[in-house]
Amino acid sequence: MIRRARPITGVVLGLAVSACGSRGHAQATLAQADSLASAGEYRTAIEAYRGLSRREPSWQTTRRLASSLQAIGDYVDAEQTLRSAIEDSVPDAHELWNALGEVLARQGRDVDAREVYERAIASGAADRLSAELNLAVASFDRGELDAATRQFDTFIDVYNRGAARTAADFRAVARAVRYLGRTDPQLYKDALRAYDEAVALDPQDLDIQVEIGNLFLEKYRADEATTTFTAILERNPNHADAILGLARVKHFDGSSDAYALVQRSLGINPNLVGARVFLARLYIDLEDFASAASEAERALAVNPRAVDALAMMAAARYLANDSAGFVQARDSALRIDPRNSAFFTTLAELAARNRLYQQAVDFADEAVRLDSLAWRGYALRGLNRLRTGAIAEGRRDLETAFAGDPYDLWTKNTLDLLDVVGQYVEIRSPRFQLVLDPKEAEVVRLYLEPLAEEAYDRLATRYGVRPSTPIRVEVYPRHADFSVRTIGLAGLGALGVSFGPVIAMDAPSARPPGDFHWGATFWHELAHTFHMTASGHRVPRWFTEGLAVLEERRARPGWGDDVTPGFLIAFREGQLAPVSNLNQGFMRPAYPEQVIYSYYQSSLVFELIEQEYGFEAIRHMLAAYRDGAQTPDVFRTVLRIEPTALDQKFTSFLETRFATALAALRHGTGDHRAPGRDVIGRRASADTTDFAVQLGLGKALFSEGRLEEALVPLRRAKALFPEYLGSDSPRWLLGQVYQAQGQLDQAAAELTELTARNAKHYPALQALAEIEAERGSPDRAARALESLMFVYPYDIAQHRMLAGYARARGEEATELRERRAVLALDPVDRPQALYELARAYRDAGDRTAARRTVLEALEQAPNYQEALDLLLELQATRSPGTE
Amino acid sequence: MMRPILLVSALCLPLATLPAQTHLVVVVGLGGEARYRDTFHAWALELIDATTGRYGVPVDNVIYLGESAGRDTTRIAARSTMENIEQALTDLAGRAEPNAQVIVVLIGHGSARDGEPKLNLPGPDLTAVQLARLLDAFPTQTIVVANFASASGGFIPALSGPRRVIMTATKSGTERNQARFGKFFVEAFAGGQADVDHDGIVSVLEAFTYARREVARTYSQEGTLLTEHALLDDNGDKTGSYEPDPTTTDGALARTITLGYSAAGPIARDPELAALYEKKRVIEQAIAALQRDKGRLEPAVYEQRLEAILLDLAATNKTIRDREDGTP
Repeated sequence: MIRRARPITGVVLGLAVSACGSRGHAQATLAQADSLASAGEYRTAIEAYRGLSRREPSWQTTRRLASSLQAIGDYVDAEQTLRSAIEDSVPDAHELWNALGEVLARQGRDVDAREVYERAIASGAADRLSAELNLAVASFDRGELDAATRQFDTFIDVYNRGAARTAADFRAVARAVRYLGRTDPQLYKDALRAYDEAVALDPQDLDIQVEIGNLFLEKYRADEATTTFTAILERNPNHADAILGLARVKHFDGSSDAYALVQRSLGINPNLVGARVFLARLYIDLEDFASAASEAERALAVNPRAVDALAMMAAARYLANDSAGFVQARDSALRIDPRNSAFFTTLAELAARNRLYQQAVDFADEAVRLDSLAWRGYALRGLNRLRTGAIAEGRRDLETAFAGDPYDLWTKNTLDLLDVVGQYVEIRSPRFQLVLDPKEAEVVRLYLEPLAEEAYDRLATRYGVRPSTPIRVEVYPRHADFSVRTIGLAGLGALGVSFGPVIAMDAPSARPPGDFHWGATFWHELAHTFHMTASGHRVPRWFTEGLAVLEERRARPGWGDDVTPGFLIAFREGQLAPVSNLNQGFMRPAYPEQVIYSYYQSSLVFELIEQEYGFEAIRHMLAAYRDGAQTPDVFRTVLRIEPTALDQKFTSFLETRFATALAALRHGTGDHRAPGRDVIGRRASADTTDFAVQLGLGKALFSEGRLEEALVPLRRAKALFPEYLGSDSPRWLLGQVYQAQGQLDQAAAELTELTARNAKHYPALQALAEIEAERGSPDRAARALESLMFVYPYDIAQHRMLAGYARARGEEATELRERRAVLALDPVDRPQALYELARAYRDAGDRTAARRTVLEALEQAPNYQEALDLLLELQATRSPGTE
Repeated sequence: MMRPILLVSALCLPLATLPAQTHLVVVVGLGGEARYRDTFHAWALELIDATTGRYGVPVDNVIYLGESAGRDTTRIAARSTMENIEQALTDLAGRAEPNAQVIVVLIGHGSARDGEPKLNLPGPDLTAVQLARLLDAFPTQTIVVANFASASGGFIPALSGPRRVIMTATKSGTERNQARFGKFFVEAFAGGQADVDHDGIVSVLEAFTYARREVARTYSQEGTLLTEHALLDDNGDKTGSYEPDPTTTDGALARTITLGYSAAGPIARDPELAALYEKKRVIEQAIAALQRDKGRLEPAVYEQRLEAILLDLAATNKTIRDREDGTP
């Protein structure tokens, strides 16, 4: 019986494909043609079928000919072939009606298609069950959901009665049950079962297997979808739908291979509407809305009733701020199918991908209004409500979505995450709502709260806008939780994300010490919030990312990434995306490092703009995006420069700015580590102007403990590429050599310079604090420690040291913060931490807090003499009548 | 500067039950590699120096059995073979006072092949069962065993019993990575920073807690998974606690034990001082009683009462200090 739960498996596929037998001589030619078609040799197969049709006209040959014609997108010829055969009355011509209906449907001729499906059914054709299914689908696609559902439901009876006999019958059952899955998610398993039975009966029909692959992908089983599509393509490398399926899987997995695959698919069948629609989606990802609209138009030229193509058209128009175009596409879609929730879920999805989170909520809202079973609509509304800060409402939507579609990993993961976040503490500051893990809330808030308030004020002054408050900032000590919050899945490489009114980021504890600068990350994300506010959420990705990196650098000295040898080599070798097409570097990187390079590159674009046109120009550019302008026009109208001219100007800017370093970089790989110790030694002697070999030799000598000898190549390397301040920079190594040699002044000078330009260099900051303490420069040591706190604020010893320096300098507020940090980190000697905090409160004049805190210390250590003395002192100096 | 230990807090050790002597036996097993041999030897010396220096245990009460006697002939009594361990403990059993505390520290690599927990030694290894048999020779003494070896968790069920504190660096035989617990346990006694109740004494419980937490902190700072979970058992139930709580699980005995003690000579010679100490003891008991009532009192009332008692304690302690310093 159907409706019996069965685990989803593709095992049957593997068993089915081997069942292929031979036919007699009369069919041998047909078999040869079939073999060509099965292998994707469509044009040769078409010739073979045509010859066969001329010699021995039959409905079987005609149908296969039509199928091959469709495989290469020749729908008109396919239709003509079928009609001619019917008109010529080939024997059993009624067996062609359903096939004709399907060709007509592909071209959007819905009325004609329904008529011929009816004929197929009335004539008692062998594939009448398929025709019935096609009619039901046509009803569904017109928005007659209840009627269609009743029709789909009859297929369960067909299956249970044993009335399905052929592969086509089982495929029809599977498709019907798949539609019914929206009412009962367990039915998806039954659909798979019926598909498996269809494959077992006709392992040669790869279209069935494509549908299985699509079902896997629809239910988020990318690995099984990949296996299915790959197996199909091993047999027929030209199966356009399978290639498209694989492209979709790649896109699902975040791979940029999707673009090449969909192009390959269209190379085989240029009229494959699904591929055009998918390509349009990829263009929208790239924020290339004009190309997206163009692809949607090409899809609609093939099938004007393709609502998914209209959805892409509507999205492209909407995102390009073309209201009239959007309304036209939307109305066209609703005229075809007034209850098409998928149209609006697509819009919601694409709006969210383009940072229009509130609009995504509105579109998803429309989807569930049209169809109460639009589970994806609930999920998208929920996810985007969470992104706009409506947490309770978002959770309700996700729970509804999950009840209807328990396969949705995003929803499941996000609901699990909400359970975790439910345990977090919420801390309000004037403009922020900090959501922190209770285990580290006390220490993180000490730094995040003032940083957030300062950042808001400074960015508000810079951009002239004030985003709505409170801004919610969620800080996750588990990177996987942050990842789920951002994309619904684990595995995101980013450190933070801004949805506008909501920011989520890794906690400083989410990564090993020194792995990232959490202060700069927060500043970066808040900058996005300002960019979105200033542009009405219409700022392109390259623009907001680059500008946010620039804002990091403006926040504090040393914040934000700096130049690397790899970046400059990529520049010199022409591997950076042009400024006029920088989104490509983010959205479709040509090589793995390009995304990282694009961040830095974009930030330099804004340095150039700020330098040449003033920061006011950047504000005007954001306003232009808000008003619907696209990047080339923004360059033209605000900067009064053609995009290509800006490309050239930027190239000159880089050449000038990094002239010294560019002259010292030799290797094409971006990896400045030389291969072998001997080789590097020889090369360093031969060429003293090669940065990579000088640094390589310096590192080698350093690691061999030959510190004095290391100085020469390291000094050379520093002079050759003075801007390089990465984790293995010459300055870092020089600083260590000087420290080891006891030349503390020189060590301090190197490390001060290094950390002033790279404030996330944790070991350098640690060493600098130590050296400055040793040199008797507590002010400088304190500065290094202050800087450390924005990299990794969990080291009790560092807080104690900083508290000590602050105490010595009479900086009461800093001492209080640091004593609170020590306590928040749960030191082994808690009474001592409490006593020192109480003392700091006393010094700051807060005697009430001092008394409470020292009592807490003594509660745990009653004989703690210094604490008892403090209590006595507080008692002795207490004014009469006070607490 | 470190404050000298003047007396044992009445909360920790009632005066009448001060132990007569502390005996320390340190066994360092096979190091395997030079870095481990050096580390283990350094831990042993640091602990012994703290015991004989800071805690005043006579040098004659310390036995150090090392991997190689030749490494340090002035400090290492003999090689840490099974035979020498047996000899040392048997001899000690013959001379230890009935109320002495015997502290056995095992340093090295452990294993638990075939479910048999062992310390790797030159020659045959020391198993938990063998050590249990040797410790049976101390029927009245208080025994502390601290096993710093990897895979040492299985020593607890074998050694657990009355008057015994058993600590292991790991919770089971499957935690096989070199353990860091010993480093911090030694540091707790040698440095004094584990004295979290600030009574001037580091108890075994304080040292255990300090070491456990420092181990966790170092792993956390490195961003690595904690691969050692130290346990302490002192209630004889053969089950160790990762976070001992003297009121509910383990720790009640461990908090009364330190590596050494100070004679209460001044108290015996000065009746007024003895009275002051008695008053101090009563105040401390009052604090403990108030803490038990904390949940039933309004926070402000609790605070006021606590403050009043603490002020009394502060004044009493000052009088004691003045009298001990000879200040009128």
